[in-house]
Amino acid sequence: MIDMDENDISFFKDGLRLDGRRTDQLRPIKIEVGVLARADGSCYIEMGGNKVIAAVYGPREVHPRHLQEVTRAIVRYRYNMASFSVEERKRPGPDRRSYELSKVSREALEPVILTSYFPRSVIDVFVEVLQADAGTRTAGINAAAVALVDAGIPMKSMISACAAGKVADTIVLDPMKEEDNFGQADLPIAMTPNGDITLLQMDGNLSPDEFHMAVEMAMKGARDIYEIQRRALVEKYSQLEAPTVEVKACE
Amino acid sequence: MSSVISEIRKDFIYNLILKGERADGRNFDQYREISIERDVIKKAEGSALVKLGSSQVLVGIKMQPGEPFPDSPNRGVIITNAELVPLASPTFEPGPPNEIGIELARVVDRGVRESKAVDLEALCIVPGKQVWIIFIDVHILDDCGNILDAASLGAIAALLTTKVPASKFGLGDDFILPVKDIPIATTAIEFNDVLMFDPDVDEETIANTKLTVITTANGDICGMQKSGTGVLKPEQIYRIVDIACEKAKEIREKFLEA
Amino acid sequence: MDRKVVVPGDLLSEDAKKSGDGTYVKDGRVYSLLYGLANYRDKINVIPLAGKYIPAPGDNVVGVVKDITFSNWIVDINSPYDGLLHISEFPKRIDAQEMSKYLRIGSSIMTKVKDVDPTMKVELTLNDRKLGKITTGQVIEISHTRVPRLIGKGGSMIGMLKKEVNCNIFVGQNGRIWINGGADDMDLALRTIHLIEKEAHTNGLTDRIVAFLKKEKGARS
Repeated sequence: MIDMDENDISFFKDGLRLDGRRTDQLRPIKIEVGVLARADGSCYIEMGGNKVIAAVYGPREVHPRHLQEVTRAIVRYRYNMASFSVEERKRPGPDRRSYELSKVSREALEPVILTSYFPRSVIDVFVEVLQADAGTRTAGINAAAVALVDAGIPMKSMISACAAGKVADTIVLDPMKEEDNFGQADLPIAMTPNGDITLLQMDGNLSPDEFHMAVEMAMKGARDIYEIQRRALVEKYSQLEAPTVEVKACE
Repeated sequence: MSSVISEIRKDFIYNLILKGERADGRNFDQYREISIERDVIKKAEGSALVKLGSSQVLVGIKMQPGEPFPDSPNRGVIITNAELVPLASPTFEPGPPNEIGIELARVVDRGVRESKAVDLEALCIVPGKQVWIIFIDVHILDDCGNILDAASLGAIAALLTTKVPASKFGLGDDFILPVKDIPIATTAIEFNDVLMFDPDVDEETIANTKLTVITTANGDICGMQKSGTGVLKPEQIYRIVDIACEKAKEIREKFLEA
Repeated sequence: MDRKVVVPGDLLSEDAKKSGDGTYVKDGRVYSLLYGLANYRDKINVIPLAGKYIPAPGDNVVGVVKDITFSNWIVDINSPYDGLLHISEFPKRIDAQEMSKYLRIGSSIMTKVKDVDPTMKVELTLNDRKLGKITTGQVIEISHTRVPRLIGKGGSMIGMLKKEVNCNIFVGQNGRIWINGGADDMDLALRTIHLIEKEAHTNGLTDRIVAFLKKEKGARS
């Protein structure tokens, strides 16, 4: 977080945020299921200005072989940002940030995947960020969860992810780029529909009370996102036409 | 959390937990003995050897002038690295940092950065051209569990002893690195709804979930990381945060405030 | 019969006794484990709409030889797990040196899963009259999740299809299907199977397929 311009930027106008949202409102979300022909499961998501695509391959044979687990499938998650996805060109390939995000994102999904059904195999999740606008890890997890379901992987439930942040001493849902860059805190979470938290990270500054508020707000956001994910999946087989669902969030 | 643990050992620890006990006799929220030795490496600008029970972590600080980031031309730069060298554990392998090492370094970095512990503006030499770069290098020597808390403690302890080597680079007199806050990381694992702080290796191995909470001197939270493939209920998270704030206060007062 | 599309984690029933295939019970409630169609009868079963084929003993499958070792053919069976066809499971006694004379890399076979162990080692056999090497006709691939629909209750759908299109059809549980017959007949069989695959999750499928075949055959004669 950079705080030097904090005072120069006003985050609210007439009680609304710079993009016209209320403090507890999500950005518009669009989810498409089964967008890639070669993958076993796939999903394209737009969350505000984020454009993220996720593919799932597997369960399939593990290469290299020594990574095999005799009693369960391993899960691999690769978060990758396209070099053109951000303002300043990003050097292609994984950096430390993407290693960390890949790890915590995998750990956000693994609790619900029935890996014991597929010994000696691997479930590969590939997430490509095509356009970034704050909240790419949560968008990636949301897309990956849908892609896993689309691939027919047995799971205890879906996973939905959402962030809350703090700007100008106010807790806001689903921060956009300006709020993320110049805000005071960022708190992404992922959870199951019944409220088990599978990802939790935080940076910035929050008092314990603000932390409670931010968690509650992010959880409410995740619940709303869950409904959109679920609807997109059900729609795929409810009609024979192309399964696209577009929802204006929270209205 | 990757090493193999025998079923017998696992059952033993599990049964202890059911009785409300831990293998080394600690309470669930009790830390192992902490010792911090500062200035142990003379070649470094600052250093600290932290022992947390039998876990040992050495943190060294090196500084040199360099270019600022374009988006913060007036501020010094912090670069944090962690090496999980093979001497520290049978499960560590030689080679470039793996995701566990990277995560460790990034969470240590998060604590220092987000607490604004270091006055980075005081590290500007020529605005937009030259600033001080702080390298925080974490060397894990012995992994007996909870190396993240030990590493975070080592980082802030080492920063508190750091002298900026200005004369070496012809940039005036050396000065003490200005440190404004003391972030403390506290980590708990969750196992069958029992929350245990400062886990040892066996406890880390049986638990699927860890939560690290980093707090500042005024009791705010400045960083968090959930790690592992388990889940946490919001109530469990709030409980960990409450205890973490308390523990951090104790550790800060006892070891780091002169 | 009530069917609806469900996703993993959907609550299906408050009655734990209703838990059937593709479901799990937590705190006395039944939830879906799969993305599929929930079938409410005595028990609630969820029939998957997607997913990989996982071999089970007794399954007929269509495989392709991908490697030959000292005494096994390694067979791709459209699954995360390869099948092993041991030399002794070939219908006649052959010499290990001559294995590739009978089945080469790339040969397609109609085979059966003999056994699967807990680490998912899959053993195949050719010891059955209807099994063997494929030398004529063609093999098509559909999602294995649609195979039950293609076979139909008690084999009703596939029986009707074989008769109507006048083709020999071997349905592999792994979604690979061998068809053999006249060119026009094979073409019709193929189109019909793809229609079944596409509409497998809809109601009244059998009637629509019968109508489809009638119309197509009418157009031909």
